[in-house]
Amino acid sequence: MNITRRTFQRALLAGLVAGAFGLATPAMAQSTAELAAAAQKEGKLVIYGVTDNEQANHLIREFRTMYPAINIEYSNMSTTELYNRFISETAAGSSADVTWSSAMDLQVKLVNDGYAQPHKSAETAKLPEWANWKNEAFGTTYEPIGIVYNKRLVPAGDVPQSHADFVKLLNSQTEKYKGKVNTYDPEKSGVGFMLVTQDKLANAAGFAELQKALGAVQTKVQASTGTMMERIASGENLIGYNLNAAYALTRAKKDPSIGIILPKDYTLVISRVMFIAKNAKNPNAAKLWLDFVLSRKGQEIIASKADLYAIRPDVEGATTASGLKAQLGDALRPVPIGTGLLTYLDQAKRLEFLKQWNSAVKAK
Amino acid sequence: MLQTLPRRAVVTLLALSVFFPLGLVIYQSVLSGPFFMKTASLSLESFAFIFDDPDFWMAAKNTIFIAVGMSLIAIPLGAILAFIMVRTDLPGRRWLETPILIPIFVSPVVIGFGYVVALGPVGFFSVWFESIFGSVPWNIYSLFAIVVIAGLTHVPHVYLYSSSALRNLGSDVEEAARLSGASPFRVARDVSIPMVSPALLYVGVLVFFLGFEIFGLPLILGDPEGHLVLTTYLYKLTNKLGTPSYHLMAAVATCIIAVTFPLVLLQRFLLKSAQRFVSVKGKSARQRPLALGGWKWLALALIALWLFLTVFVPVAGVALRSVVSSWGAGVNLLEVLTLDHFHAVFEESTMIRSIINSILIGTLGGAVAVGGYLLIGLATHRQPDGLSRFVDYVVLTPRAVPGLMAGLAVFWVFLFVPFLAPLRSTLFSVWFAYAVVWLAYGMRLIQSALMQVGPELEEAGRLVGASRSRVSRDITVPLIRNGLLGSWLLIFMIFEREYSTGVYLLSPGTEVIGAQIVSLWASGAVDVVAALSLINMLLVGVGLALALRFGVKLHD
Repeated sequence: MNITRRTFQRALLAGLVAGAFGLATPAMAQSTAELAAAAQKEGKLVIYGVTDNEQANHLIREFRTMYPAINIEYSNMSTTELYNRFISETAAGSSADVTWSSAMDLQVKLVNDGYAQPHKSAETAKLPEWANWKNEAFGTTYEPIGIVYNKRLVPAGDVPQSHADFVKLLNSQTEKYKGKVNTYDPEKSGVGFMLVTQDKLANAAGFAELQKALGAVQTKVQASTGTMMERIASGENLIGYNLNAAYALTRAKKDPSIGIILPKDYTLVISRVMFIAKNAKNPNAAKLWLDFVLSRKGQEIIASKADLYAIRPDVEGATTASGLKAQLGDALRPVPIGTGLLTYLDQAKRLEFLKQWNSAVKAK
Repeated sequence: MLQTLPRRAVVTLLALSVFFPLGLVIYQSVLSGPFFMKTASLSLESFAFIFDDPDFWMAAKNTIFIAVGMSLIAIPLGAILAFIMVRTDLPGRRWLETPILIPIFVSPVVIGFGYVVALGPVGFFSVWFESIFGSVPWNIYSLFAIVVIAGLTHVPHVYLYSSSALRNLGSDVEEAARLSGASPFRVARDVSIPMVSPALLYVGVLVFFLGFEIFGLPLILGDPEGHLVLTTYLYKLTNKLGTPSYHLMAAVATCIIAVTFPLVLLQRFLLKSAQRFVSVKGKSARQRPLALGGWKWLALALIALWLFLTVFVPVAGVALRSVVSSWGAGVNLLEVLTLDHFHAVFEESTMIRSIINSILIGTLGGAVAVGGYLLIGLATHRQPDGLSRFVDYVVLTPRAVPGLMAGLAVFWVFLFVPFLAPLRSTLFSVWFAYAVVWLAYGMRLIQSALMQVGPELEEAGRLVGASRSRVSRDITVPLIRNGLLGSWLLIFMIFEREYSTGVYLLSPGTEVIGAQIVSLWASGAVDVVAALSLINMLLVGVGLALALRFGVKLHD
């Protein structure tokens, strides 16, 4: 008798809460409500991220309207700075509650080194398998890597549609494009390094050719996408290789000279990895935030306002994983979050790869 | 002059502020990992790694080339400029005083960026030049260009030190030379400039230090063609191994210090005879400007050319970049005009905070720093004992540490010293780093001023029974108050433009424009960088104009 009553009360309560929050499953509603209550009691959330303030603010503003009691301190920094700061602050006591970085390998290393705590929810369950590692590291975006070119100065006939086209263009018009191509300097940019190693995995047969072609035109190397794009927009360089299309898209909106190609043979896709710090001071707020970023609403903001690409398969539009799938199909090569990314954090292997890269691309 | 107890307290605090962060850097260089990780052990592998790396040797060679080259350009030009501005009747001197200081307070990152936009392969000027002459004879990304730009932008540093000293010279000897038929140039070369050689020696060593520390220019201009210097090599090490390599960075910093510290000793040796040059006595001879005659047009043309190259070209580049959404070959600038970048800055609370913080750290922070420097100056003034000699070495030491590394070391200090920890995310940590990094610069300003006070005035005070601190309070400090105000202004400008030191201290609440620009540059928000740079220059310009308007003189 007692049992039935308790069950009934529980169901009634769950129903009420679910009604109040307009959510589907009663069980889930209760845990979200509890989480929200605990998070609001904490009242604060510290996030270290590499996403520009302007883009992150779209998410933060919406989160704040939903949970006005939680103040968010968002610090924008570079990927290495984030890593440095996080490990040194953790050694001194405590650091950010949540980190959010596009340096997938560094994030995986931190998780692998035991700096994260697990989280499981209805939202994390929506992620594709490759984007959730041990329920500790979560992919939050789906950002394709493309070839960017200057629309004013590169004739339509030259614009490469695939990696093979690109190599062909550089080999056939070497003089014209000499000194006019740029890409990441893998020695200076962790993301750039990750991308070329992924190139090697995705295109084992053509990788040597690609390096040779880049070397032949004396490719200029830069430390950041912004500087690469600035040079392409001005015409100092004409084509940029391995640029984050999400960034290029933001710039292309304001600057008609920027053109973006997602290669049809294969397009690498990276994801901004988020994890909750093991000794987070505000663990509930952190979980609530992570769930929000992965929620339908959060993902829609990522796709439509923040100019990144949504990873959640049930969010639709041009700047989402599903939109890209419709466009590129099997050519998409998302970089899986996992120990595979740790290979080149081994000093000897990394230096070996750099040496090989430099002798093929830089030595001229 | 200070009493024994406060004197010791000042010196102890100074030594701690300098040697604790520095000690951390050196300690870090002989570990196998970050000092705060349990896995780190004593090891020399960091040195083995960098000495084995050809990039390190290339960077070392380039650094020496740049330091020597820029000194050779900046020191003679700065000294001549000071002579023209201070000792001659050049028309428009008063008006010129402000513009020639601009390179000091524009962050080198911004200057480099301005040159790319103006003189790069498709820069505003290059495109225009090419349309007239068919080709562009310069390459902004060459090592030579970096040397020339670094040299030209450091002319004002030399100018400031030597003009301070020149202002305090009586003009009788110059007049004598002129009357016996020497040209103004000859007077400058053989009379005036040799008389201020102590100031020139100081600034020579300082410019050389700056050459070792130079970071912004090679970062922007050297990178595309792979010209590394030690600081950009250090910076590159953050990423080369994937995970940050504090021990390697510290090892490079230690190597830089190993080169620069002997220079400090050399400088001390050269300056032993500084006493001989005191030329302001109790009764000071008024100075009369030297008539330049027909030479004035040549002088004006040279200054105008230098200003055009060093100030107008990069500033115009930045200004233009801040109001267009796109640029380069084939772009009609009138079609891409926009104010969006400024809107973006003023819509962002962190940007607004960084502007407010920059103002605070320049005005209030600058004043507190000058106060601190003055205390240190008084602790050693006219007390040629062991403690004073010790202080002289201490104040020069931080200059030997690259700003990037110094900022990181200060970050560690604030992170791991318990009673300092709560101050880490306040502006105090940034102020502390700035004050230590610019210690040598500030102390020279104060000491130049102090050295000009003839000892007999202070001795007179002591003879009538005043205590040391009374003499300081009633004689020395009032006599150099103009020098102090000038120092405050100069520190203000330096604090405004500082960029590398604040990078590792950047967090919500401690944003300053300089560090913000570096961070935004790294993320590629060039639009906002241009707008923020222009705002920064305007702020400093307004501050400077106000100060001048209300009669604060840059020199006494």
